[in-house]
Amino acid sequence: MFHALVAVKQVPDTTNIRIDPETGNLVREGVPAIFNPYDAHALAAAVEWKRKLGGKVTVVSMGPPSFIVTLREAIEMGADEAYLVSDRKFAGADTLATSYVLAETIRRLNEQDPVDMIFFGKQAIDGDTAQVGPGVATRLDLPILTYAVKIRDIDLEARKAIVERKTERWVEVVELPLPVMLTCDKEIAEIPFAPLPDLIRSLKYDPEVWTMAGPVEFDRGQVGVRGSPTIVYKMGTPELPEPGEKINTREVGVEAAVREALAKAESAGVLSAVLGGAK
Amino acid sequence: MSDNEQIRFDAVVVGAGMAGSAAAIVLGKAGLNVALIERGQKAGSKNYFGGALYTHALKEVLPDFMDRKPPFERPVTEAGFWFLSRDGGLMKATIEGGKLAETELPDAYITMRAAFDAWWAKQAQEAGAFLIPKTTVVDFIRDEQGQVIGVQTDRPQGDIYAPVVIICEGVNNLLTQKLGLARRDVEPAHAALAFKQVISLPMETINARFGLPDDAHGLAVSVLGDVSLGLPGMGFVYTNKKSISVGLGVMLDTLAEYRLRPYDVLQRYLQHPAIAPLVEGGQLLEYGAHLIPEGGWRDMPQLYAGGVMVAGDAAAMVNALHWEGTNMAMIAGKLAAETAIEAHKRGDFSAASLARYRDKLQDRFILQDLKQYRNFARFLETHPQFMDVYPNFLNSALADFFSAYGKPKKVLFREIFGELTHRRPLLKAVGDMISMGKAVMGW
Ligand SMILES: Cc1cc2nc3c(=O)[nH]c(=O)nc-3n(C[C@H](O)[C@H](O)[C@H](O)COP(=O)(O)OP(=O)(O)OC[C@H]3O[C@@H](n4cnc5c(N)ncnc54)[C@H](O)[C@@H]3O)c2cc1C
Repeated sequence: MFHALVAVKQVPDTTNIRIDPETGNLVREGVPAIFNPYDAHALAAAVEWKRKLGGKVTVVSMGPPSFIVTLREAIEMGADEAYLVSDRKFAGADTLATSYVLAETIRRLNEQDPVDMIFFGKQAIDGDTAQVGPGVATRLDLPILTYAVKIRDIDLEARKAIVERKTERWVEVVELPLPVMLTCDKEIAEIPFAPLPDLIRSLKYDPEVWTMAGPVEFDRGQVGVRGSPTIVYKMGTPELPEPGEKINTREVGVEAAVREALAKAESAGVLSAVLGGAK
Repeated sequence: MSDNEQIRFDAVVVGAGMAGSAAAIVLGKAGLNVALIERGQKAGSKNYFGGALYTHALKEVLPDFMDRKPPFERPVTEAGFWFLSRDGGLMKATIEGGKLAETELPDAYITMRAAFDAWWAKQAQEAGAFLIPKTTVVDFIRDEQGQVIGVQTDRPQGDIYAPVVIICEGVNNLLTQKLGLARRDVEPAHAALAFKQVISLPMETINARFGLPDDAHGLAVSVLGDVSLGLPGMGFVYTNKKSISVGLGVMLDTLAEYRLRPYDVLQRYLQHPAIAPLVEGGQLLEYGAHLIPEGGWRDMPQLYAGGVMVAGDAAAMVNALHWEGTNMAMIAGKLAAETAIEAHKRGDFSAASLARYRDKLQDRFILQDLKQYRNFARFLETHPQFMDVYPNFLNSALADFFSAYGKPKKVLFREIFGELTHRRPLLKAVGDMISMGKAVMGW
């Protein structure tokens, strides 16, 4: 039996987000909350392999009660159980405090039912730090593969998996021991349209909520604002890059335009030799 | 839930709009296990209207609705018609105070559908209905006799069984057609395409521009005359709390015939000298379009069959002249639900048993009004002068009446009258009035 654990987060839909020009903060008011897209793809991969191998998918999240919506969505997508770790004292957590709470929670869930593979999204689209997954892996002393794009095989007997990882230049094919953590890019799996019984189950589902009061014993000094040494010095929008010069093919003709563009590229040092093609 | 277990409910309602949630509220309160299926991400996310909701219908479906904090914008305290003339004039025929203010509960509230429908569906959930969003009903499940015994949705393993289904799918009534209850798509000549913009403005600006003392006062007007390039169409203006909704409806066939782009027609309307100052300086919040079925009585599908009933826009229950659609939809939804409850008591869901639905509609204003107005859509089609000649005449006549030109009033009146007969020969005008009476009074 395959036991996958997926950590998920609710995020503001950043395609709709604005930055307050005065304060440099995100304007969260009126912005719809969504399932962090990378987490959703990671969950889809976990569910896909659960269906192949048999077993279950457990989902965990740390956040306010409004995250219940996201955990229900996880059930709709095929997760079997969902846990929300939620307490006012967790508020204001940076990636260090968040990884502490998640790691302790996962440790506990692993004692209840040993986990074979832990899935994270490669990053959350609101903070884009990509630190929480690696932080949890470090705390749990687990091997981690970041930017996972394809699970080729999971062999529960031999306790190993073969997973592809994307780098800027190539794809690495890595053999991993189980248990292992993956942080996933979107290619890891397509999100399927959920069957009606899963949707119905999700609409009735209430995730279990864990708090400071238990069952995990958290160290008060390591959670929330107290456990968060990060100080955001300044936030802002980067300057938009200036658009490049345009050469209008209708005015000068395609051939001249290409020649001019190549000449410019060469003089800018971007291109050192023209290898055939345009004449 | 195991994979091969059937999903069963006592009733299925298709569409969490005005009619659907009303039906689900009534069914839920009666203790029936009802599924309310909505294709949108949330109830309301796909819906659009002017507009104002009538309290009589809300109260009939949910008597304590006001205690449940509906997301209203403003009550309608001033209502009526505006007539735009081609020379930029504006004549207002609105009523405020009087009967509108007499009742304890305002007659209507201005609202936005995205917020309202979500609240309305929540009331259904609180009454016990099970809301299934993000799911589209695509077909029916039927027994050997052809009686409807459930629905098929677009999801894998998506069948839902129920002995009675209430279709509240709105104007694009594909399911109603699928059952053969409606014969074809709404005809372009019987459907208006309504488009509107929501324009945000500070509350104080809105109050000042529309002469409203505060945000407990609101204006709802239909705009006639030089609205849609002289073609049959009707505009509207509604004041929300911090925005205004302005738009217009034009018959679909007119748009097609004159090759008009909705956006252009709307832009022109917004640039009319009487409208432009009202929207000036505002920020566009949203823009949308939606069909209104205006065929009414003549386009009404068969309203029921074995195991199934149709309510609201899907059954062309709209009184276009009065912008009445939501109230008909809500009451029809309720009547269909009551019929379903009775059918459950009898254990009989046959067409004969559900025929009570039609009787109930007949006893109420819904079928009576629609029958009375049955000629109205055709009337506007054949009498475009009502959208053009008369509004223009009225404007200029009034302008004359209230101007001191230093000539004897007798002469002035003769001129005004001459102006009318010039625009429209007297006999024709008399004929127009009679046909209008026919269309509205159902003579
Ligand atoms: C611009 C405009 C202004 C208007 N102004 C007014 C006004 O001021 N006052 C007034 O009373 N009326 C007004 N109306 C009319 C009124 O909006 C409609 O008559 C009313 O909304 C009809 O309600 P309904 O429940 O039948 O349909 P709808 O409110 O359209 O609801 C249909 C619902 O069904 C869902 N649905 C459709 N097909 C499926 C499917 N296959 N599976 C699952 N779900 C499905 C849709 O997503 C939708 O939520 C206006 C209409 C327009 C367009």
